Amino acid sequence: MLLLARAPKAWHRLFQLKPLALPGTPGGKAQHVRYQLFSTPSPAETGRQGQPQGPGLRTRLLVTALIGAGLGGAWLAVRAEKERWQQQQRTEALRQAAVGQGDFSLLDHRGQVRCKADFRGQWVLLYFGFTHCPDICPDELEKLVQVVRQLEAEPGLPPVQPLFITVDPERDTVAAMARYVQDFHPRLLGLTGSAEQIAQVSRSYRVYYSAGPKDEDQDYIVDHSIAIYLLSPDGLFTDYYSRARSAEQISDSVRRHMAAFRSVLC
Amino acid sequence: MDLSPLGMAAPSMKERQACWGARDEYWKCLDENTEDASKCKKLRSSFESSCPQQWIKYFDKRRDYLKFKEKFEAGDFQPSKMTAKS
Repeated sequence: MLLLARAPKAWHRLFQLKPLALPGTPGGKAQHVRYQLFSTPSPAETGRQGQPQGPGLRTRLLVTALIGAGLGGAWLAVRAEKERWQQQQRTEALRQAAVGQGDFSLLDHRGQVRCKADFRGQWVLLYFGFTHCPDICPDELEKLVQVVRQLEAEPGLPPVQPLFITVDPERDTVAAMARYVQDFHPRLLGLTGSAEQIAQVSRSYRVYYSAGPKDEDQDYIVDHSIAIYLLSPDGLFTDYYSRARSAEQISDSVRRHMAAFRSVLC
Repeated sequence: MDLSPLGMAAPSMKERQACWGARDEYWKCLDENTEDASKCKKLRSSFESSCPQQWIKYFDKRRDYLKFKEKFEAGDFQPSKMTAKS
């Protein structure tokens, strides 16, 4: 009730703010208005209102707060709408990426052709290496299958598909891959292909590799980037793990991704 | 190790582990003898017969790097006089 009585007068005071916005009068009128708004009411004003200073100030503050709240609410609503739109765009981009990007056509260690779509619906832990690798690849693969075993032991978690793709297609034939993967895990799938196919899949996953000089035995070491990649059931790159990460840390991370996963493909 | 047209086949898991074992024995000897390779000749030849030549070169380089890293982290490494002047 009080507010309704005060409101017109308070709005009247707000309209007096307008001259402040104009660059015209530096001194004079603008100053006068500002002074009027923030100072104690002059005797003439007090006379007009017939009220002491207190309620007048409270009214002003209340109206300012209400306007502030209104603006704040509007801003939040607009921001929420913008975030919703951005999320839609992101989901659409991911959907397109899931279908198009990172596709490959390689031979597994049993001689069967495999492409990315074959692994849709499964979580994949992927490692790029070569069978003639002195120590890093066996260590990383051992760590990878340890993660797979740890997660296998947990009820309610989907099985993770371990994949090993060679960066040495010249030597790593289907037979060589078969000999190699058997030492690690029964479900570890080795993938190989032609030099072009391997170059293509390495490009898709941003894997660097470079064969070193050959020695008298025609042996050589392939320098390559070292990382274990996690692919979601949509076939999208989700995370990567460097040499420094332990099997436990990787298992924890995979578990978290599994819990948070929402498919973008129908 | 059977010979394929492209050279030797990759070492199996057992062969890898034999190689790593021989390497570790050799490196332990070097640790105990302050890098004096003449005291570890027998282990060196055992290492060389257990591993492919490429791996021996690779592990030797790795050993050099690890030793350098140790020195560097201990603060023993001093820049040469040449670099200080240039």
